[in-house]
Amino acid sequence: MRPPRRLGRWVAVGALLVACADIAEPSRGNAYEWRRIVTTGTGVDTLSFHWDAADLPVRFWVENSLNLPSHVQQGIEQWEAVFLYGEFSGILVSDSSAADVIVRVGIAPKGGFSITRLARGMAPECQGATDVELSAAGNQILRPIRIYVDPRFAPGSPGIDECMALTTTHEIGHALGIFTHSPDPDDLMYADPVVSAISRRDRSTAELAYHTPPTLSIEPR
Amino acid sequence: MALSIAPVATGPALHAQVDLTARAGLTWATPLLRDDIIDEVEVRQKLAPTLVLGASLPIAPRYDAGLELTLTSSGYRASEGETTTDLGTIRTGSVTLGLQGPVATGLKWRAGAGLVGYFPKEEIGIFQSGGTTRFLAGAGIDYRRPMSPSWQLIASLRYDFHRFTTDELQSRGFSQSQGVQRISATVGLAGGSR
Repeated sequence: MRPPRRLGRWVAVGALLVACADIAEPSRGNAYEWRRIVTTGTGVDTLSFHWDAADLPVRFWVENSLNLPSHVQQGIEQWEAVFLYGEFSGILVSDSSAADVIVRVGIAPKGGFSITRLARGMAPECQGATDVELSAAGNQILRPIRIYVDPRFAPGSPGIDECMALTTTHEIGHALGIFTHSPDPDDLMYADPVVSAISRRDRSTAELAYHTPPTLSIEPR
Repeated sequence: MALSIAPVATGPALHAQVDLTARAGLTWATPLLRDDIIDEVEVRQKLAPTLVLGASLPIAPRYDAGLELTLTSSGYRASEGETTTDLGTIRTGSVTLGLQGPVATGLKWRAGAGLVGYFPKEEIGIFQSGGTTRFLAGAGIDYRRPMSPSWQLIASLRYDFHRFTTDELQSRGFSQSQGVQRISATVGLAGGSR
């Protein structure tokens, strides 16, 4: 009688090993609202967007001034590292006419009727803005998305380069689809960002944004 | 003088007992990871070309002990609903120390334990903090058919089990690890001077 019992015990241990086989995912309940909710005559319009896999890598054209290409490259890399499953990737391109996102130094011009200015980021030494232009029907983003990053003091002043770097990464976050600001100053997507790295909350928000069906698409290339 | 002669005297005797195998085939694996963001996301390796090298020595009249090195290389991908994203190439290498014995004429069982290492071609996504090494246990059967006095055709079926996680997953708060089961089917040659 003993051998069958022993065999049964081993089978039970083996079955337990297989049954307890799943990894447990982390909570992403700390995400903040990333969608832009616009009041209309009849109610609200929820604007959300993420780059589709077919649009990757997203092509960035960058004005070669104030170390901006380096800041954009680092910003792209920071956002790429947020994702586990290849949801976003970006590259720099040399021809602005082929760009999905154009990044310039300067103050954003006044937006036209169809241009949605995603809430401006304003750190102490510099400021940034991201403009998204919608089609007449209001359900499609027109290429390119435009990012402006501007030093508020003379270039070379203390803190300008660091501010340009974090503001660029913040604005790229808007271009990725985080259309609002975090309420928490520890997040890079806070309105007046002071931290230079993407936080866990920013990461959870971006992950949710990229796994939630968007209400906006992007104009085909 | 005695010391220098001893290896020469024992070398051929040991050499004559070594059984070597080289096999090639395919490995199928269960998912490396299941995540739940809005819908379930599953990461798994594609069917992987596999190379196996083995060496064994008799330790008793009916039993051998041996080492087996298994190498695989394949793409891996994430699936969410009907969307699939290729994530790159992953190579694995496993080494197991095992025992083998007879089942019937031409048929042998093998059971072993060892380590499996994951070596991503690019350090991105779940591997952005690097690859990982995990404990592994497995078993299988070998079928041999003589081709000549010193060579045999060998066909093998293997099953192994390990628990998968990476430093990146742990740093993001993934707890426990994912049980991964692999099945490989290989054919090749076995030889030696036994």
